[in-house]
Amino acid sequence: MAAGALRQRASSHRGGGGGGKEAMPCWASLHIDVTQLIAARVLATGDFLDYVRFRAVCSGWRAAAASPRGCGLLDPHPRRWMLFPEGFGQRPGHPAHGGHARFFDLSTAGAFVRVPIPELEDHHVLDSPDGLLLLLRFEDTALRLLHPFTRDVADLPSFHCLAQQLKHLEELPNRIRLLDADVFYFYRTLSREVCSAVNITASGTINVMLALAPIGCVAVASACDDVWTISSWALEENELEATLPYQGKLPKIGRLLACCGRWTEMFSSASVDALAALVNKDNLTLFDLVSKMDMYMTTTDHVVRSRGILLLGEILSRISFKCLDVNTITTLSDFFISRLSDWQAIRGALVGCLALLHRKQGVGCIVIADVKRLVESFLQNVPVQSLATADRKLCFEILSCILDRYPEAVKQMDGEQLYGICEAIDEEKGPECLMLSFHVVEVVMKLFPDPSGLAAQLAGDVFEILSKYFPVYFTHGVGNGLDATREDLSRALMHAFCSTQYFEPFVIPLLLDKLSSSLPLAKIDSLKYLDNCIRFYGADRMVRHASAVWYKLKEVIFDLSSDQLLISEALNCLKSAIMYTDSSDKDLFINLILLDEDIVNKIRSVSSVDKSILSSLEDLAQLHALGSVISILAESSTYFCTRVLQEHFVHLVDIVGTKADYESRQLNDCNGSSSAPVNYGALYLSVQLLSSCREVALVSYKDCSSVKLAKESWWLILEKKLEQLIHLLRSFSRSMQPMFRQEYVSCAVKGLLTLATFPEQCLPLPANAYEDILLMFTSIIINKFENVDLWRLSLKALTSIGSSIAEFPASEREVVYYRTVVDKIVPLVESYDTSMPLSLRLEASYEVGTAGLNYMLRVAKSLEVAVVTNISESEANGRTKCAEHVAHLFECYSSRVLPWLLTSGGVNELALSFALRLLDETKDLTVLDRISSQGLLDSLMTGMKLLVGVCTAEQQSLIVQKAYSIISSMLSLPMKLMTGRLLAVDELVPSHSVPETALISMFSSIIVGLRPQTPVPDMMVMINLFTVFLLNGKMPAAYALASIFNKYLHSPEFSHENQLDKILDDILERCFSTVLANSSSEISHSSAGTSDDVDSSDVFSGNKLSKINILSSLAWIGKGLLMRGDEKVKDISMFLLKILCSDEILASIPPHQEEPYGGDSSDTSLAISAASAFHVMMSDSEMCLNKKFHARIKPLYKQRFFSILMPIFLSKIKETTAVTTKLALYRAFGHIISNAPVPAVITEAHQILLMMVDSLAKLSLDIEDKDLVYSLLLVFSGMLMDEKGKECILDNIQITMSVLTKLVSYPHMMVVRETALQCLVAFSTLPHSKIYPMRRKVVQAAIKALDDKKRAVRQVAVRCRQTWQSFA
Amino acid sequence: MTVGMINANPVVHERPERAAHPHAADALDPLDVFDTVRDIKDPEHPYSLEQLSVLSQESVSVDEKLGRIQITFTPTVQHCSLATVIGLCLRLKLMQNYPPHFKVDIKVAPGSLANEESGVYTDKFLRLISKK
Repeated sequence: MAAGALRQRASSHRGGGGGGKEAMPCWASLHIDVTQLIAARVLATGDFLDYVRFRAVCSGWRAAAASPRGCGLLDPHPRRWMLFPEGFGQRPGHPAHGGHARFFDLSTAGAFVRVPIPELEDHHVLDSPDGLLLLLRFEDTALRLLHPFTRDVADLPSFHCLAQQLKHLEELPNRIRLLDADVFYFYRTLSREVCSAVNITASGTINVMLALAPIGCVAVASACDDVWTISSWALEENELEATLPYQGKLPKIGRLLACCGRWTEMFSSASVDALAALVNKDNLTLFDLVSKMDMYMTTTDHVVRSRGILLLGEILSRISFKCLDVNTITTLSDFFISRLSDWQAIRGALVGCLALLHRKQGVGCIVIADVKRLVESFLQNVPVQSLATADRKLCFEILSCILDRYPEAVKQMDGEQLYGICEAIDEEKGPECLMLSFHVVEVVMKLFPDPSGLAAQLAGDVFEILSKYFPVYFTHGVGNGLDATREDLSRALMHAFCSTQYFEPFVIPLLLDKLSSSLPLAKIDSLKYLDNCIRFYGADRMVRHASAVWYKLKEVIFDLSSDQLLISEALNCLKSAIMYTDSSDKDLFINLILLDEDIVNKIRSVSSVDKSILSSLEDLAQLHALGSVISILAESSTYFCTRVLQEHFVHLVDIVGTKADYESRQLNDCNGSSSAPVNYGALYLSVQLLSSCREVALVSYKDCSSVKLAKESWWLILEKKLEQLIHLLRSFSRSMQPMFRQEYVSCAVKGLLTLATFPEQCLPLPANAYEDILLMFTSIIINKFENVDLWRLSLKALTSIGSSIAEFPASEREVVYYRTVVDKIVPLVESYDTSMPLSLRLEASYEVGTAGLNYMLRVAKSLEVAVVTNISESEANGRTKCAEHVAHLFECYSSRVLPWLLTSGGVNELALSFALRLLDETKDLTVLDRISSQGLLDSLMTGMKLLVGVCTAEQQSLIVQKAYSIISSMLSLPMKLMTGRLLAVDELVPSHSVPETALISMFSSIIVGLRPQTPVPDMMVMINLFTVFLLNGKMPAAYALASIFNKYLHSPEFSHENQLDKILDDILERCFSTVLANSSSEISHSSAGTSDDVDSSDVFSGNKLSKINILSSLAWIGKGLLMRGDEKVKDISMFLLKILCSDEILASIPPHQEEPYGGDSSDTSLAISAASAFHVMMSDSEMCLNKKFHARIKPLYKQRFFSILMPIFLSKIKETTAVTTKLALYRAFGHIISNAPVPAVITEAHQILLMMVDSLAKLSLDIEDKDLVYSLLLVFSGMLMDEKGKECILDNIQITMSVLTKLVSYPHMMVVRETALQCLVAFSTLPHSKIYPMRRKVVQAAIKALDDKKRAVRQVAVRCRQTWQSFA
Repeated sequence: MTVGMINANPVVHERPERAAHPHAADALDPLDVFDTVRDIKDPEHPYSLEQLSVLSQESVSVDEKLGRIQITFTPTVQHCSLATVIGLCLRLKLMQNYPPHFKVDIKVAPGSLANEESGVYTDKFLRLISKK
């Protein structure tokens, strides 16, 4: 103000004195000391605004006054501003204020300012001491002091910290006892009631004191403290209020603010929970609670009152299991019922009423008289439709609860009250409320079944309200958090419609009317409703609508534009109409439907048309509709069936063809000339009729004798035409003529199937005809497998005939079926007939087997036989494809037959006996020799694994014992010596005969499949045995060892043999030394130079292969350990790493000592196999160590391994200089990266990206690594899709792009080129400025790829080029 | 400014459905080329050139050894002044989709255009429009 005055005067001087320029004082050049003095005065007397104005005069003045910003809260400016509430109960920071807060100048008393305070977004204002704001941050409950004008902040110890400290105090000074659970209560109370004072010392220390009135103590802290200092003495509330300065705030402002505080809302439910827990545990009686809350519930401030009542209501709803006495209940219900009239606090009253109504019998529940009063008061006082959605929902919940649990309270209701309910529902829109209100209507209507009752009187009015909602139209999407879906709503409305039959005169016309609506939804809904209503309203009421219903349904069914769903709904509806409309006139529907002019015309046109109906889709659809209508009619009762058959059947069959006709046609077939086309329509309809006969027979097969004896019955008609029909059908399905299209054949097959599945008592089908049908199908299966459609149809028919037999147990048909079908088809598996593909044979057997348990057992047996004969006779037959054949058999056995048997309660013994038999077959050495020479061994091993895997632990132990005894009797190794420690190397037999190896392989496959619970005999011997073979480089032994260590290490069952751990160490040690010994002997050998011993060179050449094998065996054992999360895996991986880097060791040897042969190449191949060992360890395997073979798998083991090895590899790669070593390391690390889960890799992207790119570049040179390159590229593309990965790639975009553009012309693998191009396309989404420099390079690469050999690559290249060219 | 359409009511043909790519080998074949150009929209109508029968599979010939692609198209009407535009569209599309060493010839079917000398488009003219 002063500054403004000064300026004014200055300008008036300037303007007024025209010539006296020197007389004008130049304020700007005032001496700095003077200016500072003025500034200090301005500050001392004026206020912040004056200070701002002063600073705005000129730069000189501005420089003289200290800037208010940046000096923390210490600034010298007075704080006479007080936070002023906006009113309406809105706290500061309410969204309506737009991030501003209003301040009031205390000193001048009159000035208001609105200051933008962005902090209010995520802070809650606790208090406003001395013109500062005490804020509470939502996320971490940090307490902070904010200067509202300079926005400087000082951080204090957090509120949470304060609460914790208070909790830990031994004895609290005041009356409220703290429980463990009620920290939240603290937040709630304290944040409301806190008063604070601030003192800023000259040295800059900020001290804050909080007065915690509810607890009666004071907490003090300064800005640099970590904890609060809490007073140990108690203070009365009044004392506190007197003590603290009120300067800077209105009394009780904190409470007002907190009323609507967002922060308190968050904790409110928690604090109610805490209170309810108190009440539940009897720590707080309800009486105490009510008397404490007395003031809150009766105050005239409706905000506080409503919160008080709500609190009581919520607590009541949370103690629904606590016993309350009659008095309490009565008092409470009195209270809440009276509160229903208090519309401002209605919510609490509703919650309370609902809680009372929900109380169970036995813990004290509301009495009937009170319920009556409640209903009255509710209907009188609660204006439901003017409430908010949540409250309306509560209202409807109350209503439906009353109706469901206390119907007698409503029984004596008068029309007035019912009308009240209607009014409550009228115009309701919320889906959840509607759900409830529909339910309410349903129950109310059901309460008054009396014809003179209220429901009958008011049906029209109620329906008027309901009809508005039909069809339910619901625009809310899925996943909007609502529980109700359109289907739920629609169902609820349907139940409401069906609640009383008095709705009938209104509902049926409405539904029929909506049927002609153009909205498909409306149509479907009305069909569904109609269906239900017909069932509910009963025959008497529906009779008068019968014809109308039929006409409407006919319209829908024969409408060409209706879709399948609609038609099937309509047919359903028709079905229930016929079933439930049981009028005295039993010909009602016959007259309506069968004699309907349209229907008669349609049947006539179908049967008379010469042209094939199949030519147009519309005709076909009409035919199907017609067929369904007629068969529905015929199916519904015996009488209808007879009538329909009388009317049409004979005629239709005659149209299809007479017997004579059939014979002449056969003659024609022989001559090769085609006869007249067959009427498909007639065929279809007669098959439909046949199947409806079957349905009728199925329903009434108990008293079919009466049907047979009746004078007029469908049975007689059918019998008359049966023979002719069978002949006809057979001729169709057997015929291979092209004129019989697919439809004919399937129709005929369906007819035959229907005939064969007729219940035995009801059909005059002669036994031989039945057998004929089966035979025909069987012969199709065996002979006509070229005709795929027919083959499948027949197979299906056979399966369903088989399963239909199972429905009528102990019939002769089972025998016939077994004899004619199973005995013919299942042996196909065993035969060597190569004309029919094995897969078809297997499929046929399996499908036939699914018809019944007995059949499937037979299938399993013959599969077993097939495998065994293959083993024993394979040499005799000299067939070469034997291995593949057996593999197929096993595949079928284990993946289809066994699971089926398991699910249908089949026996598990099967696998056991099969496995034992396999063992028996293979125990002969000569057989083993032959097997392994034929390559059969692998498939046998796989089969054995699968069989063992399926068995239970007990069965497995049987198998193991047997196998073990075979091994110990046959193997030439000194088994006895193996019981103790591992044998010395010298005792090892260097090489084993082929059959022995085969034997061990079979044995190892048994071990692989074992469950961890299975006991294993002589574990030590076995481990020794396998170790011997492992050291000879036999892989199966490695699988077995890996499984053993994976499953049994540290297993308590083998605790007496806890040497397992030690043995493992031994084995590893030996493997290490074997691998290393050779290379070191190599070195020693090379250094010795001349000592070319024959033996050692022999060992040399043989050893190279076995060394590699031992390395991969190590990998397998490592995998076993890794999967169970054992620490030992580290030893193995470190050893492998050593091998990887062994090149470097070699390179360090002086060059003159290097041998001309060997050394280098053997070591690189070792390095390669060490690298692929990492692949083995990380990747999933079908061979062993998976779920199927009961491996122990620790979750996230890959991720863990990756994160352990990553830093090691990174440092190794960094320090390696030799090219080959680096390559080997890259390879190994590449395997690890590409098998680790992508998210894990992406989190480390910043560390490994460069290395990955480099390895992509290096590995792309060698064709051997193409798969690795591809999988690395895939990982890279995964990174590219991730936000974090993208950032990393952006940082290294130059090198990444150059490698990728090179990969675009990668010669060895098409998918690599394709993926590289796709990655380049994905790059185009990165920031333009970063990728623009790359454009030229990428476009060039893409143009080059346009000429690619592969089409897929060319297509991606076009896309890539277009994308990048568009950056111009 | 609305100028009357040159062919206001063209005959539209159904787009034949082809299941999978029936290519035998991965070499460039006419079907490939046809696939790239079949969906170009006619400058006058919202239909593709294939639907208007301006192009058909037979109108494309490819000689991969010599690096030649030849397309012969048939304007819907004789006096079609948009034939040039169609030609340009075709050429641009082919330039984008095939390596630069291919020689692309675009011709109008003999007798289908009244003013035939404008039927063949020179590369020179095209270079002007394709420069971006």
